Amino acid sequence: MAPFDLVALFGTTGSYLVYIAIGFAFGFILESSGFGDSRLLAAQFYFRELRVLKVMFSAIVVAMILIFWSTALGLLDYDEIWVKPTYLWPGIAGGLIMGVGFILGGYCPGTSLVSVATLKLDGAFFLLGIIVGVILFGETAGLINTFWNSGYLGIFTLPELLHLETGVVVLLVTCLALAMFAGFEWLRRKIYGKAQ
Amino acid sequence: MNGLAEKVKYWNPYLGGALLGLLLFLSFFVTSHGLGASGGVHRIAVAIEDLVIPEHVDKTPYIARMAGGDRDPLAHWLVWEVAGIMLGGFVSGLLRGRVKVQTYRGPQITPRTRWAFAFIGGALMGYGARLARGCTSGQALSGGAVMSVGSWAFMFAVFAGGYGLAWFVRRLWQPEA
Amino acid sequence: MNAPSLPETLGAVVILLASAALALYGQPDLDQKWEFLAAKLEPRLAERSVYIDPAELLHLMNDDYIHLVIYDVRVESDWNEFHLVDSGHIAMEDLATERERLHALPENAVVVVVSNDEILATRAWKRLMAVAKPNAYILEGGLNLWLNIYGVPEEETDRHGKAGMGKPDGTLRHSFKLALGDRHAAAQPDEHLVPHREYTARVKLLKKLARAGGCD
Repeated sequence: MAPFDLVALFGTTGSYLVYIAIGFAFGFILESSGFGDSRLLAAQFYFRELRVLKVMFSAIVVAMILIFWSTALGLLDYDEIWVKPTYLWPGIAGGLIMGVGFILGGYCPGTSLVSVATLKLDGAFFLLGIIVGVILFGETAGLINTFWNSGYLGIFTLPELLHLETGVVVLLVTCLALAMFAGFEWLRRKIYGKAQ
Repeated sequence: MNGLAEKVKYWNPYLGGALLGLLLFLSFFVTSHGLGASGGVHRIAVAIEDLVIPEHVDKTPYIARMAGGDRDPLAHWLVWEVAGIMLGGFVSGLLRGRVKVQTYRGPQITPRTRWAFAFIGGALMGYGARLARGCTSGQALSGGAVMSVGSWAFMFAVFAGGYGLAWFVRRLWQPEA
Repeated sequence: MNAPSLPETLGAVVILLASAALALYGQPDLDQKWEFLAAKLEPRLAERSVYIDPAELLHLMNDDYIHLVIYDVRVESDWNEFHLVDSGHIAMEDLATERERLHALPENAVVVVVSNDEILATRAWKRLMAVAKPNAYILEGGLNLWLNIYGVPEEETDRHGKAGMGKPDGTLRHSFKLALGDRHAAAQPDEHLVPHREYTARVKLLKKLARAGGCD
């Protein structure tokens, strides 16, 4: 049953190759979808472009359906996949900061890599900024240690939060995504008219 | 802003998203974890730090566990994934003639202004990603797909932050009103 | 880009149907999960590699380096009559609730499941593996065998040798004058005072798969 112990299967070098391949596909899809262009990304926040919303939520919904169908059929072991533990407050705070960074800088870490790969200078400056930002965090981590570990809820999933079955939550998320796609499209047309 | 002309050549975002979702699933299936990016960049930054000021790295607890003493911050799958992302982005761009030195920016600002804000935005992103223990790839996409509450909260916070500030910085991106 | 195109509509319908079907189909329950794991784990039962001798359990109880967790899955009346010191009573139906605790166990943790013979304990072991795959073992011969070896005369009418060695039927085949739970001497035998007993050590400390991922 998946997942597998990669190092046991392919050796350390082999496992690195697998990750490079995954990263390659990731970067390829991102660039092909226009995510190396900060103008398209930032336009999300003006309702002029909806790529970010569409790609993110399509990806999440498709992945969710595939993952939980696999666990349902015994092809994948849910206990073995990495679910990030929830640290609620630093998560929200970090998210807000990243939202600000997104609208100011026009990228997120993954997309900035793609941008740099296609020689965009704004992407390069953004990436340099990331390096400075992470180093800054490392230096000051001690100061905010309590906050950084606050709101710890362990591995806490939506089904546990909502007291609903996994499959039902997947269905709800799918409906939410479709509703958002329709809703944002409607908003876009309202703001910019049919010309877009 | 002229994404319009180039937009025609980019994939339909639903298609791109569905493919990304498939990749995300395969990642969990084969490797047990989702995708990631900021962690890899972080490790590269720490590796550089380790080259230049190793004693400091050893003494700072947050980075020591990554690179202190004998530990090699680069011996981690995230680093290889980052390398792959850049390679994939490059090849995709190359195939479509989009590998060009240029600065994407809103029509109302100069390249220099764009660079400055890109740097600031990047710094905020870098800091925020460590604070949130992940970025949009790691937390939002991967954590979101396995239904982690923290990841969903994070995702909404990102959108809130972006939308919240958007109107105030519209000159960075929007065409003349 | 006004109304969604045909492929887009099709896609939306597909994911709606797929997720609705998933909601109906549901996720595997513990027994189903065991079925999925059985191929890999059933051999461990057949080869007896997860059954540990009472002497090994006694050794674990005295090993400060090990974080020992003992699950006693018998009926409550048996538990009240006798149970091992520091063991925890839990009903079979409640094993699923141990999930978070099991995931949080340290690297030096060892889980042992006990019942009167091995029947209930084996069933519970399968459930535990379906829940969280801990480093878990089953007490060989159950508490019937344990009491054969470590039982103290004053407290029982049937003991040593023949008793407890009857046909394993899941019942506690030692009787006690008073239901003292873990206050019997046999609940915590002194390793230095009891006669030495040879055994094949089966417990291994597992090194957890590097279960870290994401931007940490």
